[in-house]
Amino acid sequence: MEPLEREHILIRPEDFDKNFSTLNLGPTHPATHGIFQNILTMHGETIIDAEQTIGYIHRAFEKIAERRPFYQITTLTDRLNYCSSPINNIGWHLTVEKLLGVKTSKRIDYMRIVIMELARITDHLICNSVIGVDSGALTGFIYLFQEREKVYEIYEEICGARLTTNLGRIGGFERDFTPDVIRKIKDFLENLPKVLRQFENLLLRNRIFMDRTIDVGGISAERALNYGFTGPNLRAAGVDYDVRVMNPYSSYDDFDFTIPIGTNGDTYDRFCVRQEEMWQSIKLVKNALENLPEGNFHEDVPEFYLPPKEEVYSKMESLIWHFKIVMGEMEVPVGEVYHSVEGGNGELGFYLVSDGGRTPFRLHFRRPGFIYYQAYPEMIKGSVLSDAILTMSSMNVIAGELDA
Amino acid sequence: MIQNRLKEKFSNEILSIDEGSDILTITVNKDCIREFILFLKDELGFGFLTDLCGVHYPDKELQLGVVYHLHDLTNNQRIRIKTFTSLEQPEIASVHDIFSSANWMERETYDFYGVIFTGHPKLIRILNVEYLDYFPMRKEYPLEDSTRTDKDDRFFGR
Repeated sequence: MEPLEREHILIRPEDFDKNFSTLNLGPTHPATHGIFQNILTMHGETIIDAEQTIGYIHRAFEKIAERRPFYQITTLTDRLNYCSSPINNIGWHLTVEKLLGVKTSKRIDYMRIVIMELARITDHLICNSVIGVDSGALTGFIYLFQEREKVYEIYEEICGARLTTNLGRIGGFERDFTPDVIRKIKDFLENLPKVLRQFENLLLRNRIFMDRTIDVGGISAERALNYGFTGPNLRAAGVDYDVRVMNPYSSYDDFDFTIPIGTNGDTYDRFCVRQEEMWQSIKLVKNALENLPEGNFHEDVPEFYLPPKEEVYSKMESLIWHFKIVMGEMEVPVGEVYHSVEGGNGELGFYLVSDGGRTPFRLHFRRPGFIYYQAYPEMIKGSVLSDAILTMSSMNVIAGELDA
Repeated sequence: MIQNRLKEKFSNEILSIDEGSDILTITVNKDCIREFILFLKDELGFGFLTDLCGVHYPDKELQLGVVYHLHDLTNNQRIRIKTFTSLEQPEIASVHDIFSSANWMERETYDFYGVIFTGHPKLIRILNVEYLDYFPMRKEYPLEDSTRTDKDDRFFGR
């Protein structure tokens, strides 16, 4: 007999009499938080097998990047993991700076740390509050989203945008932190611990929540490494790999912070690791803000850093640089660099091949979500459908990052 | 030294070693890529596949490249392995059974560059639609309509 439908639906003729049923979870399903499909083979309520289909929002960023000058690629990186776009933006800037050999001052580094850690907080806020929603606790979600809104206001104050931020420039920032920014960050840091503690009281030792998450969707450290897990998901499995500590960038080595790790790699551990990372991020932002040195908010890289508009209209040199940047007449070193930053979900890497032209010859994004989402079938096999939903939300699969 | 151990074992297969780059870069013959990566993983401790992607060099004789980034998490050392293959026979051994993470990355490379990973359990397109009949990241496919005359390449990138 012919297989029922296309092969990847995974019902083989020999399975016809086994009472398996096929369930399409997605592509547009409220519980998947993004456009991707899971075709589940179920026996009763138990998952026998799963097959993912991704690519629904593929936007060919790597191809587009081959036609764009470096400074225009920042907007593409926004749309990878859109829950923490500033990390992607700054990661890209750091990659270009590595290629150009630009060394940034401590002030720029610390400003970047402030932004990146705020972005990490928003990323984890979403992920953890959504775990709450998927296990039936909607209240925490609303509490935390109010705090996320405040971070978005900080972004707005810095760069004018909220979600797809296009924040920062190659060599620094487009403008300095205004007193308003500092005030808003301080307000946020003062309020967040209260809300986080409330949220933790609500869920962390909640019997129902613990029963729903402990030993659900677990993965061993060895398998996690083999599957290329990074970030909180790997740390929940007990491996203390963090790019911020392993290969410090942007002066992360000046700061003292701990890397929380879990033991079982299950949903509860992932939740706890993210929760603790937020506390660490709060500490980091506080420290960076307190020790923020005086100085300029951008490095002197006239070949890449667009001069202020008023100078373009009044100064000859700025006009020339502006023209050169926009028309793409600057010199770019030939070479290859790989640079990675600790994104919200793990190691976000940029592999940049430059042939000296105006645009990258090849740019590849190492998207953590794309790599670890492969492990999903292995993690949910044998569990029930409601646990599979929780496992997915605790892995923090972001469609934008998945599909690039 | 990693370089010496590798040179000892794969003296005929290593085409070039570049120590000047940001990461130690080794170009190897494509026929030995599986053994090479297995050796790196089992003997030299590079137990983490960070990245795998394709590159297309239209001016080279062997046009399609596959780049592997491996990471030794214990000693915090990275290594970049490159291997090249021709457009006519774009076949490279799959490493999906050495690193489970390679599965989708190889599918992605196949999807965009048409590199055929032999031994891969399910080498089908992953991000593009199934009925696409070309490999879009190859350099012969321009991003914009090449019949347009209003855009001069000199002013608008490649």
